[in-house]
Amino acid sequence: MVQAHSSEWLQAAFSDPVLDAQLSFRTALKALAEPGLVQTMDRALELDSLQPATYALCLSFLDGDTPLWLAPRFDTPMIRANLAFHCGCPIVAEREMALFGLLDESELLDLSDFDNGSERYPDQSCTLLVQLSSLDNGPQLRWRGPGIKDVQAVELPVPAGFWAQRKARSNFPRGLDVFFAAGEHVMGLPRSTHVLHNNHEEAA
Amino acid sequence: MTSLHNAQQQADSGYNFAYLDEQSKRMIRRGLLKAVAIPGYQVPFAGREMPLPYGWGTGGMQLTAAILGRDDVLKVIDQGADDTTNAVSIRRFFGRTAGVATTLRTPEATVIQTRHRIPETPLSADQIMVYQVPIPEPLRFIEPSESETRTMHALGDYGVMHVKLYEDIATFGHIATSYAYPVTVDDNYVMDPSPIPKFDNPKLHMSPALMLFGAGREKRLYAVPPYTRVESLDFEDHPFEVQSWEHNCAICGSADSYLDELIVDDAGSKQFVCSDTDYCLQRRDQQLSGEGAQ
Repeated sequence: MVQAHSSEWLQAAFSDPVLDAQLSFRTALKALAEPGLVQTMDRALELDSLQPATYALCLSFLDGDTPLWLAPRFDTPMIRANLAFHCGCPIVAEREMALFGLLDESELLDLSDFDNGSERYPDQSCTLLVQLSSLDNGPQLRWRGPGIKDVQAVELPVPAGFWAQRKARSNFPRGLDVFFAAGEHVMGLPRSTHVLHNNHEEAA
Repeated sequence: MTSLHNAQQQADSGYNFAYLDEQSKRMIRRGLLKAVAIPGYQVPFAGREMPLPYGWGTGGMQLTAAILGRDDVLKVIDQGADDTTNAVSIRRFFGRTAGVATTLRTPEATVIQTRHRIPETPLSADQIMVYQVPIPEPLRFIEPSESETRTMHALGDYGVMHVKLYEDIATFGHIATSYAYPVTVDDNYVMDPSPIPKFDNPKLHMSPALMLFGAGREKRLYAVPPYTRVESLDFEDHPFEVQSWEHNCAICGSADSYLDELIVDDAGSKQFVCSDTDYCLQRRDQQLSGEGAQ
């Protein structure tokens, strides 16, 4: 039934598919190479409950080779129709099958079953795209690792349980890489980043 | 040469922007994200045919094509020089297929594709280095099996690398490896920094620029993010050392850059000049303008 009317759901994606995808990717690359710094990603409009940065990440990463797992909140006919049309990505119900996961903050307390790669092929792991309401005003943490000169102070408003989940799924080189998106902003959290909760305690 | 210098060029129609199709770019881009997330790990990718033979920088070109944007300024060097065949042809290739501005000046470039050198001029944040890599696997000369080397990386089983360096010491009395000198990235993966002279290895350590490596024939890409610890392998009693010269550059007089040895006449007389042509030229220009002011 939705199929028959799916054209009604379609919206425009990038206004310039080539250059907007390139700009969004470069922003994402910078976000992941410099963890904890907020980058502006404003090449897409919002789509239903997907904010501009979240949708831009989808448009620049996803295609027929990337099975996507959708959080229930984003599993709407409009998002399905537009991702199917603009990206052509298969949408899978099993987390294990997904190369990308599109999550909202209510999913952060359970990261089980997302593929975190293997020792021999750590790159074959799921990348999480997490939409938050903002990227600041959370409890202050300090991040350290590749891409960070010394220590980076970050105030992501995510529940403490997320860090426990991340730690549980991390065993370098295995792990989950995360992009946090809010409005027109993104922040990267690669598996290589160490998150310090107290002054010297290392939690991830 | 002036038309190349900082000139926004007219792109040839008939090619997608920067030659590669969008699906190929996305595949490479996803690989680059994983490469950045796992510093030093070689990510397999579905390398495409490029319109030049393997060995001429097809890996680096695919990475450049995947990252390049309209506002980028591209510099291409081959052994430090902007004016050698490989550098000129790759620079023209992206000038034609992407219409991007190109430059010979290191500080002006946002993307620098390089064959086997890191510029002498310090790199800055927001610059991206793209290395052309012939053989990405540092363990390959010791272990020919890909399956075995993959397991060795997974186990961090790098003892043989030190054996190889030790054999140098046993034979020559010092570590004779002078290029493609293996490094450890962020205390995890041992990585081949591409055949840059070991003189350039210290420039990888805690560099503010993002380093991307592409091997076209072997279809591997890997990365070193900015501000990442990159340590050259060595021994306590044989610490890592870079090359040094008794001469200064014959053109600019530099005492601390990497020098090429030139035979200048039939009698075999030698001169030493900077391998980094842009660095040498800038120093020479400064000296000339200094003399002019006096």
